[in-house]
This record gives sequence, structure tokens and C-alpha cells, in this order.
Amino acid sequence: MSDEGGSPRRRGLGVWEWVGWFALLFVVTWGMAAIRPRLNEAHVTLAYLLVVQIGSARGGRPLGLSLAAIAFICFDLFFLPPFGTLTLQDPLNWLVLGAFLLTSILSAQLLYRAQAEAETARDRAAEIDRLASLGAETLNVGRAEEALTAIVSVIRSSLRLDECTVYLSDPMTRAIQPITRSGDAGAETAADAELAQLVAGEGRTALQFVDGTTQLDADERILADIDKSPRVRALARPLQVRDRTVGVLSIANSNGLALSAAQIRVLDALSYYAALGVERVRLVAEAQRAAVLQEAHKAKDAVLASVSHDLRTPLTTIKALAHEIAEGGDDRAAVIEEEADRLNLFVAQMLDLSRIASGAAASDIQPNEAEDLLGAAVQQAAGRLHGRELRVAVASDEPLLFGRFDFAQTLRAVVNLIENAAKYSAAGEPVELAARRDDQWLLFVVSDRGPGVPEEERERIFEPFYRRSGSPDVGGTGLGLSIARGIAEAEGGRLDVANREGGGSVFTLRVPAIATADLQRSLQLGDGREPAPS
Amino acid sequence: MPGDVVLVVDDEPQIRRVVRNALTSENARVIEAANGRDAIDLAAAERPALIVLDLGLPDIQGLDVCREIRSWSSAPIIVLSARHSDQEKVALLDAGADDYITKPFSPGELQARVRAQLRRSRLAPAAGATQVITIGELVIDPVKPSLKKGDGAVHLTKTEWELLRTLLKHAGRTLTHQQLFRAVWGNSSGDMQQYLRVHIRSVRRKIEADPVRPRLIVTEPGVGYRFENEP
Repeated sequence: MSDEGGSPRRRGLGVWEWVGWFALLFVVTWGMAAIRPRLNEAHVTLAYLLVVQIGSARGGRPLGLSLAAIAFICFDLFFLPPFGTLTLQDPLNWLVLGAFLLTSILSAQLLYRAQAEAETARDRAAEIDRLASLGAETLNVGRAEEALTAIVSVIRSSLRLDECTVYLSDPMTRAIQPITRSGDAGAETAADAELAQLVAGEGRTALQFVDGTTQLDADERILADIDKSPRVRALARPLQVRDRTVGVLSIANSNGLALSAAQIRVLDALSYYAALGVERVRLVAEAQRAAVLQEAHKAKDAVLASVSHDLRTPLTTIKALAHEIAEGGDDRAAVIEEEADRLNLFVAQMLDLSRIASGAAASDIQPNEAEDLLGAAVQQAAGRLHGRELRVAVASDEPLLFGRFDFAQTLRAVVNLIENAAKYSAAGEPVELAARRDDQWLLFVVSDRGPGVPEEERERIFEPFYRRSGSPDVGGTGLGLSIARGIAEAEGGRLDVANREGGGSVFTLRVPAIATADLQRSLQLGDGREPAPS
Repeated sequence: MPGDVVLVVDDEPQIRRVVRNALTSENARVIEAANGRDAIDLAAAERPALIVLDLGLPDIQGLDVCREIRSWSSAPIIVLSARHSDQEKVALLDAGADDYITKPFSPGELQARVRAQLRRSRLAPAAGATQVITIGELVIDPVKPSLKKGDGAVHLTKTEWELLRTLLKHAGRTLTHQQLFRAVWGNSSGDMQQYLRVHIRSVRRKIEADPVRPRLIVTEPGVGYRFENEP
């Protein structure tokens, strides 16, 4: 393995331990020398190896190697003839000595390696432990900001920094604001904020050196090469969740940031937690905003509902009394009754608009039949055509036309379109109403012979209160078309206007159609209790 | 209507006044209640020929008053409502109300509805399903059953007759989709909406002069259908 994990950490071995190990070696040598005639080379080798290996295991590589060297010399001096000299009588004994030395060194080396690996594993485990507990802490803390504060102080203490700050970054404007800070950058706070703003804008890591210059990460190597840079004072990196920059982490040390590979790894992991923490802060804020909005919506709906109720009750009285007086021959009372009707229409349309805005415009979507709707539309539009004829076109051999829509709401939309057509077409010109199938759509088409709608107004006429340019004062609330479009969209459909061939305009309201081939067949099969319920 | 007793239930004195004026001008005798409790007591004591009931009562939900009275009285109930919700209308009809008027209404509209309900209630129950009915060139004999349009006989399927008979039996009264489906198809499951609409369309094509301008089977949007006995 490489040395990347660092050598096994030991308390420096004391002088007395060294002395003790050498003493042990001499005791063993002395003991064996006393019974030398009864020993052969194998006994000596084993005894010395034992001492060297235990020494390596307990005292580390330097001690092991030292013991091996001394044992080698003692072996030669005291146990291989001629005794007392380093020369050897039998050249074969060089083999014994060589094997002993090699075995000692190898075993010391192997033990060292095994210990180093075990140590690294322990370190990693401790690191994972720390991160896991930090993660759990982060998720468990009641308030999102507190979790971030915990992360920031862990980053600061584990990397021995002067200061660590997390900023929240607005995803749209990229403006940053500090959420939590640990330590104090003193005079450099403004410089740090500037660096963080740069990072938020670019979405990349940046360094600021002690001389005040900054460098933006160009190739994502800036952290790996940090030891090759001049002295770094501060570092800021984007906090990203799903590739979006949600915040900035900034760390600073006035004496210079020196980050080892292991520390960068810790910083990476902690940055990830910080990013999650920032995202959580953001989501909590968003949820609070949404809750407030929903409350406001509810309040608005309640107000509208009670306003409409409270308006309609007096309107009923006004209308009825005006009616009674008008019957007595006073024309002014008839005007009062008309105006009461107008006011009522206005209240109803305001309610419609509010329902559309709150997404409750089409709450009763069911299979409905087109001819049924046309019939109801004819009936409802009857009083609102200002003397114009309403032509309804459905061929009697037309197949069943079924769509999926809210009957009452769609009827309202179609009647609004008829009313609009009647308003804009010349007196005596009929308004035409038709239904037909177009692929997966069921179309309700209202055509008039009015002035048509100029290209640039085709979208704007669907805005609330919009009035067409140069149009006569046609009365009404100016809400009919926008309500109709709102209803169509709530049903998953569309409402568009186009110019009609030969002059005038064509409003097409489309809602999702339903295939009716099967129903049609079961109907044509004749009598019986068809269609058989499933 | 002359001499008929009509009970008007509303907590707003102004509305009671409007309704009273509209009905006394038709020579009805009007009695009034300002809350649900009094309404139920008066309805039991006076046995009115018709009840006009406001939904927003201070003590008891209008819907419950309606259900309570309907449990022992067959007098037509016309509901006054300030809301426009179709679900509310359906719930009312299911609770036994015969008709409803949305505020603000005109006195003429109210008078017409009251007249229609009184006339309907005077007919023998279920008479519509047993009598031969002639409307214009249309002759309907629901017992035989046969349908003549001008000189030609028109064939109706079994289901179509069932549907037409149900509507005739309750002529002048709006039947909810649910009520109609139960009467024709019983408790069977299935796509109620779709079956009902398919058959309404085919019956209309056979009896209406112009099926896209129906005058006999009228649609109550979002609520149900009604057979007009005096189109």
C-alpha cells in the first residue's frame, strides 16, 4: 500500500524501552551462551527470531530492524565458530546467518505493514463514525438552521480554522446571505463575503491568497493542487444539490490554509452535509411560505363565498321589490332590476374566476354527451342573443359524441362563447354552434359574422377585463372569455380563436373525447337490457 | 293556487316579505317560520300544500329540515339557495326536495315554479306512468306501450321505455342522474353516466321535434333531467 494513509501512529518509543529490548536480547544471548554446547544453529535462530518479531510487533519497525542487526552480530560472535570473531569457519554458516537476517527484516516489514493497514482502517472507521453521527445529528435537530450550525462548528474544529461560514444562495438571483457562522474572520469578513458571492455566481470553487488575489477553479483540480499554490487565506466552494447551487461554504485561516489529502476528504464529506442542510433550510422556508399562501387562499375563498351569499340575499329583495314597483308602471324600477341582475352576474363571474384561479374550476369531470350539452346551451342562451338566431349543426347520422368534461362548467363556457358571438356580430346575422370529433378531441365550435379578431389580439382577448380595440361598448363584465378559457384548461382542453372564412371569428373549445365504438355497437344490437352492466 | 296554504321558511324577514308578496298576489294563504324548528312544527300542524324553504337557517341545516318533513309529508318542497353548487342541488333533490331556486330570483320565476309544483302534486301519484299522453303530434301510451309521432309508430327499446316511464312518472320534477339510473338499471354497477346519456340521447331523437332543442326532456346541468309536462 502507499503511504497515503500515513505511518502507524505511535507514541515515540521511550529510551528505556529501547534499553529494555536490548537488555532482553543480551539476556537471551547470555542464557544461550551458557548452554552453548547443547544448542545447534536452529535453536539460536528461533530464539533470536522470537525476540526480533515480538520487538517489531511491540516497538515498531526501527526497533525490529535494530534488534535484527544486533542479533545478527551476536549470532556470528557467540554461536558460530570460531567464537568471538566475525569470521566464519564453515562458509555454509553464512547461509544460516543470511537466512536469519532476511527472515528478521522481512517479518519486521510485514508486521509494520499489517499494523499500518489496521491503523488506517481504524482511522477510516472513526471518520465514518464521526460523519454518520454528524449526519444523524443534522437530520434530527429540530430546526434546520441548528443542524447547519452544528456542521459548521464541526468543520471549523476538525480543520482547525479561524472561521467557517455557510451562505444561502438564491437559485434565481444568485444573491447570497449568511445563515450561520462559526469563528470570526475579523477584518476579512467583507472579503470572504465577496469571495462567496463570486462562487455563488460561477458555481465553482475559488481561493483567495494571503496577498488578496483570488483564483477561480478552472479544471476542478484546485483543491488537489492546493499544496502547490501560494499561501491560501480563504476558500469558498459551492454547495450543490442535484446540480443546483443552493449555497456557499467559506472557510478561512489568517495564517494560511494547509489542507492535507485526508482533510480535503473530510471537507468534501462535510460540504455534502452542509449542502443538504442548506437545502433543508430552503425547503422549510418554502413550506412556510406555501402554508401562509394557502391560508391566504382559504381566507380569500371564505370571504368570497360569504360575500356572494351576503350579496345575493339583499339583491333578491332589491330585485323583487323593484319588480313589484315596475309592475306599478315606474320605468325606473325596471332599471333597478336590470342593474341588480348585472351585479349578480358580476358576483357570479368573480366567483368563477376565483374558482379557476384556485384550480377548482372543473370538479365534476365525467363522460358526457355533446348533443346534451348543445341542447342545454340553446336553452340557456335563449335570452341572451339580442334577437339573433342561434343555428345548431348536428347531423342526425352523426355518431355518438362523447367527451370527458364537467357538464355544468363546459356549458357555462359555451354559453359565454355564444353570448360573446352575439355581442359582436351584426344584428340579423346568426350565431352558429356545432360539435364534432377531431382525433382525441371533442370540439365545440361557436362561429359568428362579426368583425373578427386581429392577429395581435388573439391571446389578449382571453385576459380578464380586456376589451377589444375599437369595439362598441357592448356591456358585460369583460370576464366571459377568460372564464371560458380557464374552464377549458381546467378540463385538460383548450380554447382558441381563429378568423372565419368569409368574415367573422370561430371560437373552438376542445375537451378530451371518449371512444364510443363499443357503446355504439351494443346500442345497435337492438332490444334487451343493453348495455349490459358489467 | 287560490286558498292553498304555503309555508315560507327563511330567517331573513325581507326575503319572507318578497315571497309572501309574490304568493299572496296569487291568492295563496302564506304562513311563515324563521327557523327550522318552527318550520317542522308548523308543517306538522298546518299541513301546507307547499313549502318554500331557505337553506341557511340559524338552528337546523336546511337539508335536514327537508329530510325531516319529507319523511312524513308529500307536500312539494321548493328550496331557496344563495349558492350555485351543483353538488348541493343534487343533495337537495336526493333529500326529497322537488325544486330549487337560486337567489336572486324574480317573483315571476317563483310564482311559476310554485304553480307547477302545486299542479303536479294534485295529480294522482304515478298518473304520468299510466295515462296516455298527447303532446302536439306525439302520442305516448306508457302501458301498452306505444309511441306515435304524427302518423308513424316509433319503436323504443325496453331500456328506452323504462327511462321514459320513469321521467313521465315524475313529470315536472328534476330527477338526479343517480335516481334515474337506479330506477332504470336497478342496483347494477357500470358506467352510469355513460349509459344514461346514451339513452337520453336516443329517446330524445325519437320523441323531440329537434333533439338539439329539447322541449320535453330538459337537462338540468350537473344535476339530472326533467320531463316537462307543459312544454
